[in-house]
Amino acid sequence: MDDQAVTIRRLLIANRGEIARRIIRACRELDIETVAVYSDADAGAPHVSEADSAVRIGAAPARESYLNIDAIIAAARSTHADAIHPGYGFLSERAPFARACEEAGLIFVGPPASSLEKMGSKIGARALMTAAKVPVVPGETPSDQSDKALTTAATRVGFPALIKPAAGGGGIGMKTVRDAAELPGALAAARREAKASFGNDALYIERLIEQPRHVEIQVFADAHGHTVHVFERECSAQRRHQKVIEESPCPALSPAIRERMGAAAIAAANAVGYRNAGTCEFLLEGSGDSASFYFLEMNTRLQVEHPVTECVTGVDLVHAQLRVASGEALPFTQASLSQRGHAIECRIYAEDPQQGFIPQAGTIVLYSEPQGPGIRVDSGVKAGSEVSIHYDPMLAKLIVHAMTREDARRRAITALRNYAILGIRTNIPFLLQILEHPQFVNASIDTGFLDRESAALAAAIPRDLPPAAMAAVENHKQRISTLGTPGTPGTLGTLDPFSTLGNWRG
Amino acid sequence: MVETKPLGDGWYLVTEGNERWRVAIADAPDATWVFVDGQVARIESAGSGSTRGRAKGRGDSSVMAPMPATVVTINAAAGQRVNEGDTIIVLEAMKMELPIRSPRSGIVKAVHCAKGDLVQPGVTLLEIE
Repeated sequence: MDDQAVTIRRLLIANRGEIARRIIRACRELDIETVAVYSDADAGAPHVSEADSAVRIGAAPARESYLNIDAIIAAARSTHADAIHPGYGFLSERAPFARACEEAGLIFVGPPASSLEKMGSKIGARALMTAAKVPVVPGETPSDQSDKALTTAATRVGFPALIKPAAGGGGIGMKTVRDAAELPGALAAARREAKASFGNDALYIERLIEQPRHVEIQVFADAHGHTVHVFERECSAQRRHQKVIEESPCPALSPAIRERMGAAAIAAANAVGYRNAGTCEFLLEGSGDSASFYFLEMNTRLQVEHPVTECVTGVDLVHAQLRVASGEALPFTQASLSQRGHAIECRIYAEDPQQGFIPQAGTIVLYSEPQGPGIRVDSGVKAGSEVSIHYDPMLAKLIVHAMTREDARRRAITALRNYAILGIRTNIPFLLQILEHPQFVNASIDTGFLDRESAALAAAIPRDLPPAAMAAVENHKQRISTLGTPGTPGTLGTLDPFSTLGNWRG
Repeated sequence: MVETKPLGDGWYLVTEGNERWRVAIADAPDATWVFVDGQVARIESAGSGSTRGRAKGRGDSSVMAPMPATVVTINAAAGQRVNEGDTIIVLEAMKMELPIRSPRSGIVKAVHCAKGDLVQPGVTLLEIE
């Protein structure tokens, strides 16, 4: 241990669900006491019963509980916690929260507030990255808006290019230009639409990245001048910007590009004085050694998909976060890190893919996780859990690890086929469709894949279960009526005295 | 012949000839749920008449919430003409917006919810005549 290190004895977790449980587990292993916080909707949640103590912080809506900085700081004070882990989402990337922790004398398990602020501003971050020689998507708003100057700018930026109203948003007035010959017409049309929609006809020209992959680099920095990268995660399988399946390594990343991307992520972290775990997101264009990559943004927190990195590197990222937050040096060096095998994470969402992905709320009446070598489930629910409308619909994450990508893919399929969640609909049948899709099988998906294919994938989900399974349901119903009282959900089998009565013509 | 053997914790071994399945079955108040090989079915209990998952009912004149949600926008007032497919109400649940579209064209008879209300499935939000 380092001289400057302090010991975290009691940690408050300002979060809920699977990530709160993940952090509690790490604390147990490090002999750190845990304090859970909960809203009225979560009084019976697993993270509350698993922590060493728990504090109610407010009503069900997040802004009255998990987003309430004063209530969380007060909970930390009343329980004499010495540190706060924000998890992801909620307050994790809010500089005022990090600052409030600092002012209350609490260790914030994350980056300094100043790093959060610098990366929180898109325009500011882009300027900082450019200065640090981290590649960003080429783009500019020329001060001279004549056709001639815009044409020169487009040539600098490169084709295909995207023309956008400088004052715009939401895709209005956006034009794709394949070559210089298309520019005059596109510029005139974009100006008209920009003027009509935003009252300002200034245009921004950006390189169009076609069929990009979303590849991100895990970085880690300590207070002793060490910054390392912990390799990449590929997250191209996203529906409406919500990640669905992540994996590591990225099948399209060559060793040379991986090294360059890792160096760029380290430069990005150092440019904002980063500490603790963070992730730099990039767009990857092309594959192999000729691929290009562009910085998108930095997520200044632990990511949902951090377990795939843990699987392939053997590093426990939450342990490392706690060590670094208490002032110790990083428990690993760049040279000590390597990737082994392949990991895939599937996010389990409470949503009905067959009804337009409508979020589901209700009571989970049966919950049964898959088990076996290379299978990890990080879950926020159990049988009897009430899934409320107040929070994110992600219930759990299935993470599998195997020697090859194909082995991992098959392991994920087998695990999902044994992952029973009843009482509400989940996206498990949809995940199975993705994992079997030829483009996923041959690792050629881009960030637009699920937006193009979701409807077809959902439509391919089988509507009918095997007749024998439905016959078993009839058997089950008959048993219940014979017994006279409905069994406790999920426990009927063990109580059933009529197990030999189970013949039914299907 | 289909044979069903309880395995515990809601799981059953279902055998038919040479084929076998591991099936999970559990009861909710209004339905029985069944799981096999990653696929799920919900079998409504007889006479439960559940309105879950439906945004319309009662001869298509009542607009109902498909799930517990908060009302964020109401685009129609009593006496107003609406067309089939118009987004008349927007609900929010789990940080996602759920547009509720008019099941038919007609005149709004009454609006039974207000912006900010927490509504439950099966409760009439709006009536059209």
